[in-house]
Amino acid sequence: MRHETAAPLLTLAGIKKSYGAVRALQGVDFELRAGEVHALLGENGAGKSTLINVITGARTPDAGTMTLAGRPLGELTPAVTRALGIACVHQQPALFADLTVAENIGLRLEGGGPWRWVDWRRRGQEAEQLLRRVGADFPANRTVRELSMPEQQLVEIACVLGSGARIIIMDEPTASLTHREQARLFTVVRELRAAGTGVIYISHRLEEIFSLADRVTVLRDGESVGTQAVRDITEAGLIKLMVGREVAQLYPPAESAPGETVLELKGVGCRRAGVRDVSFAVRAGEIFGLAGLVGAGRTELARTLFGLTPADAGEIFLQGARIHPRSASEAVALGVAYVPEDRRRHGVVLEMPIAHNVTMAIHPRVFPGAWLRFGAEEGLACQAIRDLAVKCSGPDAPGSSLSGGNQQKVSLARWLATKPKLLILDEPTQGVDVGAKSEIHRIIRRLAKEGLAVIMISSDLPEVLGMSDRIGVMRGGTLSAILPGGSDPHTVMAAALGQAK
Amino acid sequence: MNQNSPSAGWKSVVLRYETLLLAVLVVEWFFFYHYGTTVNRKGVVVGFGTLDRQFDILRHSCEIGLLALALTPVILTAGIDLSVGSLLGLCAIIFGKLWREGGLELPLAAVLTLLAGALAGGLNAGLITRLRLPPLIVTLGTYSLFRGLAEALTHGAVTYTDFPAEFLFFGQERWLGLPTQAWLFLLAAIAVWVLVHRTTFGRSFRAIGFSPEGARYAGLPVGHRTGLVYVLAGLIAALAALIYTARLGQAKADAGTGYELFAITAVVLGGTSIFGGRGSVSGTLLGVAAIAVLKNGLACLPVVIRMNAAEEMSGMFTGALLLLALAGSILPNILSTLRLRPQAG
Ligand SMILES: Nc1ncnc2c1ncn2[C@@H]1O[C@H](COP(=O)(O)OP(=O)(O)OP(=O)(O)O)[C@@H](O)[C@H]1O
Ligand SMILES: [Mg+2]
Repeated sequence: MRHETAAPLLTLAGIKKSYGAVRALQGVDFELRAGEVHALLGENGAGKSTLINVITGARTPDAGTMTLAGRPLGELTPAVTRALGIACVHQQPALFADLTVAENIGLRLEGGGPWRWVDWRRRGQEAEQLLRRVGADFPANRTVRELSMPEQQLVEIACVLGSGARIIIMDEPTASLTHREQARLFTVVRELRAAGTGVIYISHRLEEIFSLADRVTVLRDGESVGTQAVRDITEAGLIKLMVGREVAQLYPPAESAPGETVLELKGVGCRRAGVRDVSFAVRAGEIFGLAGLVGAGRTELARTLFGLTPADAGEIFLQGARIHPRSASEAVALGVAYVPEDRRRHGVVLEMPIAHNVTMAIHPRVFPGAWLRFGAEEGLACQAIRDLAVKCSGPDAPGSSLSGGNQQKVSLARWLATKPKLLILDEPTQGVDVGAKSEIHRIIRRLAKEGLAVIMISSDLPEVLGMSDRIGVMRGGTLSAILPGGSDPHTVMAAALGQAK
Repeated sequence: MNQNSPSAGWKSVVLRYETLLLAVLVVEWFFFYHYGTTVNRKGVVVGFGTLDRQFDILRHSCEIGLLALALTPVILTAGIDLSVGSLLGLCAIIFGKLWREGGLELPLAAVLTLLAGALAGGLNAGLITRLRLPPLIVTLGTYSLFRGLAEALTHGAVTYTDFPAEFLFFGQERWLGLPTQAWLFLLAAIAVWVLVHRTTFGRSFRAIGFSPEGARYAGLPVGHRTGLVYVLAGLIAALAALIYTARLGQAKADAGTGYELFAITAVVLGGTSIFGGRGSVSGTLLGVAAIAVLKNGLACLPVVIRMNAAEEMSGMFTGALLLLALAGSILPNILSTLRLRPQAG
């Protein structure tokens, strides 16, 4: 096909990069052609983001050469690569929180010096246009701080689309996007491909790779273990390449019938969070999935239950007792745990070691009498690192030195250790690789079996469908439907979009 | 640094900021030992190295040292307390008034003074955690408020003196070979060290300092812990007020003026990050010592004595030392953040 004949746009050869003693990349070869979507795959910590950072000039490689359209590249900086036509959606949105969306987009896209004239009206219009193109439905004059994670992700994508770059890199752009935004993104990426842009696409969702990518390169422990055409490989083969072993991708089934009601909501609302009139019940041993579009109020509901935005209407019962948590620490004391959506801002304290992060929510239990016990703490941390296969240099490694997926695992480990009555998971497996993902699913199932009530928010529809015993669908801040587990995706999507069947 | 993890190897010990500071302190001390001379009350020339002088340094650094101890947890939470110096003055006056005009026994007056200090700290705490006002603004306000109160209570004129010898013992005598207040200081230092480095309180202070949002999402009682550091600061400032009064034998409204700045300098010099999260009590103690030795040592350099400029010189050199320390500790951070800025993953 046309891809085979296309000349390489970008060629990397023998790229090496170490962070201190950690060898993140050990001689990676990579080639991107014009008009192809090239998927980059690998376990958490395999070196994907590092490779991207090398291409964008954010990190200087220790060794190796790069060629862009036949011309060798020297020392790169982000400014240089931008001028060369390389644009990137980073794994974590890196926007200025106190500026508006339009200003953020303008800063990325507009050329010119610091004294240039800013045409505010045009800047606003262009930003609006880009937002519509990626399917965002919030106005461009919103401050980024007010946006949720997936909304920020959409802004990032809008920036990249507007750049008109010939190489576009997307590092897990869909990690927190739901089906509708994802479908929109795919349309746009296909348009880009048709226009001759080279796209590097990173994702842990294999079905995305198969529906979008032309070729795939797999990284393992900082080495490329091969590039193949996507149509020549199966999902199982890909996993084997990536993990080095077979991984059962089946969702663990519910084994026992759910027990007594643990959580019951009666008309719960919170005006500040935009949640209104939510009623449902979750029983012990049950996993209650929450589906819905970006902005449907799933995270907002979770935050209300966790006391971060206390409810101002309705009643919440936990094991029959009425509760009204007014802060997260109250909620934790009551036995509620919440794994937040934004791991870098809320899930881990990046400056602190893994060990401190893991024990942060269970101080009273690990440290009776408030005395620190370093030995016990290290033991717990090592346990978590082993259970979730966190790739790190040890329990003392700071959160900031971990790859995105490994930070997510630490954030999860903290709350799995709390032994709560109600466990709320907000995108528990975002950015987590296939192997660890099925391990996490097993752990969640096991906890449910031990008698927890679990609420699981996930934008990964197969995950919601596969894991949930019942599925609540949210729309416009309220619960619009409750569907049985194993419903088919179309029913769920229709409910999320508010289309009557 | 400063994570006091038990598994740190020798290299991380040598390269620790505290070790560096200790080296600076030793060099400083030997410099003054070599060049410093002074004339004592009897007109005899004595060197900087005498035991008496060391005790003098110790005596003079106890109050600022206590304030620095009080500020260490505060700054660890990325907060600041500018009011501790003024509170020292207010507590001294409260103590004097309770004893002289209230006719209370000294121990009772002392206990009530400590309570008053904690209460005043509680005012800071309430304003900061309940009303969510920035610590800098709140304590800038109480900085004036406390000093003003102290002056109002004394009409700007009254000084309480003639304390009995049993009380002056705490500020002017020795006990077990050391100045008495040094023992109190040591006790306070151990208490704060344990709190910061060996309990979950210290752990929470750091988490709050690094990321208040992250700490809140982890279910830590952020408001309570933040309030606690200011209450504690008030309590320790009151203790400093008692020692101050015992050392000088008088309680006056301008006691401790400007001490808060010396204390903050000592804490920052000791390697505690003004942005919160990082820091240690041992660093603070070294910072206090470095400033005290500098101040005292300069006063016995012949050049400085001739110019009669000990105060000015010590101010200048303390400032220079602080800037140097900051440059030394921040530079690597700045460089690495510049390199890391557009990082992903
Ligand atoms: N700043 C850093 N300091 C030290 N080690 C780092 C740093 N950044 C990344 N690493 C290490 O480099 C390795 C590769 O990380 P990278 O972020 O490239 O992984 P990734 O493939 O993007 O993983 P993920 O799927 O989880 O995002 C990991 O082992 C990680 O711990
Ligand atoms: Mg990554």
